[in-house]
Amino acid sequence: MGRTSKDKRDVYYRLAKEKGWRARSAFKLLQLDEEFQLFKGVKRAVDLCAAPGSWSQVLSQKVGGQSSGQVVAVDLQAMAPLPGVIQIQGDITQLSTAKEIIQHFEGCPADLVVCDGAPDVTGLHDVDEYMQAQLLLAALNIATHVLKPGGCFVAKIFRGRDVTLLYSQLRIFFSSVLCAKPKSSRNSSIEAFAVCQGYDPPEGFIPDLTRPLMNHSYETDFNQLHGPARVIVPFVTCGDLSAYDSDRTYSLDLDNGSEYKYTPPTQPPIAPPYQEACRLKKNGQLAKEFLPQECSIDRVDKLSQPLAIHTLLAPKVEDNEINCSS
Amino acid sequence: MDAFGDYVWPRATSELILLPVTGLECVGDRLLAGEGPDLLVYNLDFGGHLRMVKRVQNLLGHYLIHGFRVQPEPKGDLDSEAMIAVFGSKGLRVVKISWGQSHLRELWRSGLWNMSDWIWDARWLEGNVALALGHNSVVLYDPVIGCMLQDVPCTDRCTLSSACLIGDTWKELTIVAGAVSNELLVWYPATALPDNKPVAPDRRVSGHVGVIFSMSYLESKGLLATASEDRSVRIWKVGDLRVPGGRVQNIGHCFGHSARVWQVKLLENYLISAGEDCVCLVWSHEGEILQAFRGHQGRGIRAIAAHERQTWVITGGDDSGIRLWHLVGRGYPGLGVSSLSFKSPSRPGALKAVTLAGSWRVLAVTDVGGLYLYDLEVKCWEQLLEDNRFQSYCLLEAAPGPEGFGLCALANGEGLVKVVPINTPTAAVDQNLFQGKVHSLSWALRGYEELLLLASGPGGVVACLEISAAPTGKAIFVKERCRYLLPPSKQRWHTCSAFLPPGDFLVCGDRRGSVLLFPARPCLFKKPGVGPKAITAAEAPQAGSSSGGSESVVTGLGPVSSLHSLHGKQGVTSVTCHGGYVYSTGRDGSYYQLFVHGGRLQPVLRQKACRGMNWIAGLRMAPDGSMVVLGFHANEFVVWSPRSHEKLHIVNCGGGHRSWAFSDTEAAMAFAYLKDGDVMLYRALGGCIRPNVILREGLHGREITCVKRVGTVTLGPEFEVPNLEHPDSLEPGSEGPGLIDIVITGSEDTTVCVLALPTTTGAAHALTAVCNHISSVRALAVWGVGTPGGPQDSHPGLTAQVVSAGGRAEMHCFSLMITPDASTPSRLACHIMHLSSHRLDEYWDRQRNRHRMIKVDPETRYMSLAICELDSDRPGLGPGPLVAAACSDGAVRLFLLQDSGRILHLLAETFHHKRCVLKVHSFTHEAPNQRRRLILCSAATDGSIAFWDLTTAMDRGSTTLEPPAHPGLPYQMGTPCLTVQAHSCGVNSLHTLPTPEGHHLVASGSEDGSLHVFTLAVKMPELEEADGEAELVPQLCVLDEYSVPCAHAAHVTGIKILSPKLMVSASIDQRLTFWRLGNGEPTFMNSTVYHVPDVADMDCWPVNPEFGHRCALAGQGLEVYNWYD
Ligand SMILES: C[S@@+](CC[C@H](N)C(=O)[O-])C[C@H]1O[C@@H](n2cnc3c(N)ncnc32)[C@H](O)[C@@H]1O
Repeated sequence: MGRTSKDKRDVYYRLAKEKGWRARSAFKLLQLDEEFQLFKGVKRAVDLCAAPGSWSQVLSQKVGGQSSGQVVAVDLQAMAPLPGVIQIQGDITQLSTAKEIIQHFEGCPADLVVCDGAPDVTGLHDVDEYMQAQLLLAALNIATHVLKPGGCFVAKIFRGRDVTLLYSQLRIFFSSVLCAKPKSSRNSSIEAFAVCQGYDPPEGFIPDLTRPLMNHSYETDFNQLHGPARVIVPFVTCGDLSAYDSDRTYSLDLDNGSEYKYTPPTQPPIAPPYQEACRLKKNGQLAKEFLPQECSIDRVDKLSQPLAIHTLLAPKVEDNEINCSS
Repeated sequence: MDAFGDYVWPRATSELILLPVTGLECVGDRLLAGEGPDLLVYNLDFGGHLRMVKRVQNLLGHYLIHGFRVQPEPKGDLDSEAMIAVFGSKGLRVVKISWGQSHLRELWRSGLWNMSDWIWDARWLEGNVALALGHNSVVLYDPVIGCMLQDVPCTDRCTLSSACLIGDTWKELTIVAGAVSNELLVWYPATALPDNKPVAPDRRVSGHVGVIFSMSYLESKGLLATASEDRSVRIWKVGDLRVPGGRVQNIGHCFGHSARVWQVKLLENYLISAGEDCVCLVWSHEGEILQAFRGHQGRGIRAIAAHERQTWVITGGDDSGIRLWHLVGRGYPGLGVSSLSFKSPSRPGALKAVTLAGSWRVLAVTDVGGLYLYDLEVKCWEQLLEDNRFQSYCLLEAAPGPEGFGLCALANGEGLVKVVPINTPTAAVDQNLFQGKVHSLSWALRGYEELLLLASGPGGVVACLEISAAPTGKAIFVKERCRYLLPPSKQRWHTCSAFLPPGDFLVCGDRRGSVLLFPARPCLFKKPGVGPKAITAAEAPQAGSSSGGSESVVTGLGPVSSLHSLHGKQGVTSVTCHGGYVYSTGRDGSYYQLFVHGGRLQPVLRQKACRGMNWIAGLRMAPDGSMVVLGFHANEFVVWSPRSHEKLHIVNCGGGHRSWAFSDTEAAMAFAYLKDGDVMLYRALGGCIRPNVILREGLHGREITCVKRVGTVTLGPEFEVPNLEHPDSLEPGSEGPGLIDIVITGSEDTTVCVLALPTTTGAAHALTAVCNHISSVRALAVWGVGTPGGPQDSHPGLTAQVVSAGGRAEMHCFSLMITPDASTPSRLACHIMHLSSHRLDEYWDRQRNRHRMIKVDPETRYMSLAICELDSDRPGLGPGPLVAAACSDGAVRLFLLQDSGRILHLLAETFHHKRCVLKVHSFTHEAPNQRRRLILCSAATDGSIAFWDLTTAMDRGSTTLEPPAHPGLPYQMGTPCLTVQAHSCGVNSLHTLPTPEGHHLVASGSEDGSLHVFTLAVKMPELEEADGEAELVPQLCVLDEYSVPCAHAAHVTGIKILSPKLMVSASIDQRLTFWRLGNGEPTFMNSTVYHVPDVADMDCWPVNPEFGHRCALAGQGLEVYNWYD
């Protein structure tokens, strides 16, 4: 498969590159805004889990109107700088990172908190769903500190087994909670976005960073698990009718008459965790297992195990198994 | 029925779960495995056999098991009883089990305790359990009464990705926490002040550049090992971690995995790691890789356990398979490569070719025509003969059979063949066969009765020599039996040969990639007009000009049947006959299963070997009935097992272009090759198979995308199936006549699997996998279900035709035949035959060339399939059924399945939806005094459902389909009869059912969690006498229509209307929900939480009145439910 194959299979990936967005997710935020006018009147915004930064790109363009707004972007991973965006590198579930973010908003609360956080999925569904929920709850905890009353919180949510527990939790803090799916998010993906408007914490609620917000459990309410009384919030599809269908495969020449030209990715990942392993693999320097080496037949018969000289540096072999994107 | 009764009935219960194996633990000679919420207990015997003793059901409710901790017994007596803490997600339960004398009983279980946070590790501390929780805190829990004794957080509050608890008392308890920031934090919960104020970390250790997924501490050596997202394993010298302030030193940084590392475990002498690359590596503590275990399929290995006394490693995978491996440190005993030290002043000349006669005798020839023997018992070289006629060019082949029949053959460039008895080389016989070069030599052996030697000469002529021995054994006789002629090609010689049992035919492969069938005894084909035609030199234009004359000289017999270029231009490398099939291998990286029917060769299935093995050299049948594939992977010779997906042997021989030979006997497997002017020999004692690797077969390695029930096989009482899963729960008489449901599944791992699900045992048997797809399989459809022998002469069993489709717009058609077979564990035998395939990109390429179209392949995926058959009760009528495909490029395509699926032809298409089409479904409509109608529904990502009338699509002169602009292009499907905007976004499930009133209930489920149900009426306009010719178009209309907006919290991926009053739906939110239909809006009855995440498809079927319904849910695993009607 050639390099254009991903362009064919994913029209938003391709459009993002052509439009200079760092990730296709930019369209998700734009389509959410189309539906909910998220950016209206927003001067200060927090972008949690921001790398590689396409949401920050959108926010820095749309926030603040005429006067310049303030965007604080946070991620575990390093992120290439963006004009007008304050960056913090850290784990949003970590107390110290949360404190650092809050500092920026002391006395002048934020209008909008967004979180597009997703763990590096392991493929074990229960672990992934849990980790994703922790990002949402950490983001919510930060939001309770920085959001002005009536402010808005948008967070990625995995619609798995326990998603209704998260909905019921969000409803405690916001007057309106909806589940929204931008057209640029695929049908085949379990991701959606909780759009929470009208920040309105319960009376007497005191934000507390030092205790993590835990997800609720089914213990208290059997109906939440098996019964009909689960909290399923209304679902909204965003993006206008003419929006491209993210599940459809388009041929490279789109109907709008523009001619296809391959565009390289806008912002390749900065120092991904697998970088060193890929470099070693590329150079054939991954450790290789012991293979029986040559020795004379008498030795084979005399020794219970053949002698071997172990080589740590294996010869160069063709690399066709793992796609190292570095 | 009252409301309460409604709430209870029908109640689905889980029968069978196949999920990734996420917990494994050895306790004495038992293996504990976690599968979903169930604990499986296996007995391991010394041979490494595994026998399931018991399934302890539903320990963790809707949580999945991630680990076990067995309470240490001070008296060390875990052989009769054990207290096991089972944990996973936020759940903990303790269960007491007695298992003396192989009889296993659950004595007691505690409540299921819910923690406030994820449990990363658990450890027994004097009757209580310490738990390391998700946000870096530790609790001490009394698991018997279920109360928390201590709860200590760390000052560094963050989410963890793993944790490891050390120590045997609360006082000395140490936690090593792996934070999402890649750091290790070491802290001591017992240092908390009485008010449980957070405790500060004692040490922080960094090094990994990705999160840490697993840790293991070896107290005896003071070592800690960590496995990370950065694909490396690190070994740390930590000393006694229970002592604060100690030094932590990174003493090893091991890169060996090619993907993330999920698990690590330190043993006294080894370090075991396993990960996403499906490889389990054995390292020394110094960081050298000693062994690599490959065999799991799919997304990785999730659990490892070790039995140190037996030196076994046991791994569990995402494929739900469990495997056992032998720890032997540096390689297997009795296995190795040796140089046979040929070079010597007493042996002049350079080696040209090598062969093996059995696994003990090596033969080699030199460029001075010397033939030498090396006997491994004697351990020295011996010259058998020297003949300078073989000095410039020489072929050497030993006869097959365990001892090589004691014969070998030489051939030279001048048409001379010499057959040499190895023990009495002086009795060698020469035959002058051709005027020119002998291109190839091969043997064919039938039992011990008939031995043939085939030699290819110029012009595609193959001489067939009959070899026999004198009763004294001192002399041999060589007689030319006949000559065959190969089809013309540039490199026109044969490469391999074998007898086709019972022995009337020879199967040969040639250099051109064709597989050919020749009569073994052409003298029997005396009658003119029967059998092969003798081809004369004049008729065969490129036949050898050897005879000189131009007169018609018979040069050889042509093949009676051939599969031209089956293996492509690189040639066929071997043919093997086994179990009624012929297997051929080639340098195209594939092997074929063929069979001979009515004197004709027919391909059954094409199979690929492991990745990178593009040169398959041969196949061997192991005594246990499994098969191994021999081949070359770059510079290595590899013996690969398709059953275990394991490379059993790897020899770095430099590739297959030099002379090499392979032999496999019960005593040893041997591989000889030439390297650096010497003979090298690799030998592995005990043959090429390693015993007992697979404890439990895996299913699919990746997400299952579709599931379809094919039918049921009923076994008579003579096939009584032992109930291994629930030996205790078996009530007398419940064995009954065995009903076995046959189900097929398709997966992202590119395979289609045929499964047997007996109703009595709650087990699943994977019967066969079809591996023809090059990309993921997403949809399946079945038609023509019947019994072997057909309706007239019906035998027990099941036959069906299957279409599978998926990524890269690829579609395959195959037939399935399942028959009772008492010799297999499933009591069934499954035969598969590949019938046809279709790829849209190939089709477009052809059309582009023909019509200068500029359509570029948009990498279309097929999302769903539906068989459209008007008269399924009258098969054979008409041109064959249609199969409709939902396509990701926005099209609905119709294919015609002709000749029972042997021809697959794109007939028509429509781009009506303009969006990715997600589902297709078809049904027939019957009304009194009217022609039966065939309706297709298609649904897309915009929530609309379109209905098409295909009744007359195949009729001559029909206007249902509009002819294409160019011949050869597909017809156009026109406009649908009706479209319904059922949802606001993608339709992920669709089903219909006729109602007693003559209408149809249509139900769909969507991405937004909503359900839509409506009644569809099909009306035919009054027939007008005047234009009887004109086609009648039915009018479809919606009668009553209901929506349930928030029926589920995620995509509804399965829906089935069970009766006009009852419907069941399944969703990614892991709920199986029953709905009552018929009084207005569908009403919720009850729902069950199931364990398979990401369910992509569901199928339900009634079994029988006693058993009720069965329902298979497929996603990241497979779960089967049943309920009584
Ligand atoms: C889907 S990406 C976000 C894409 C981003 N919105 C954009 O438009 O470019 C998810 C991000 O979550 C980040 N992430 C995951 N866990 C995190 C954590 N604990 N703290 C901070 N960021 C985290 C990952 O590093 C990743 O960059």
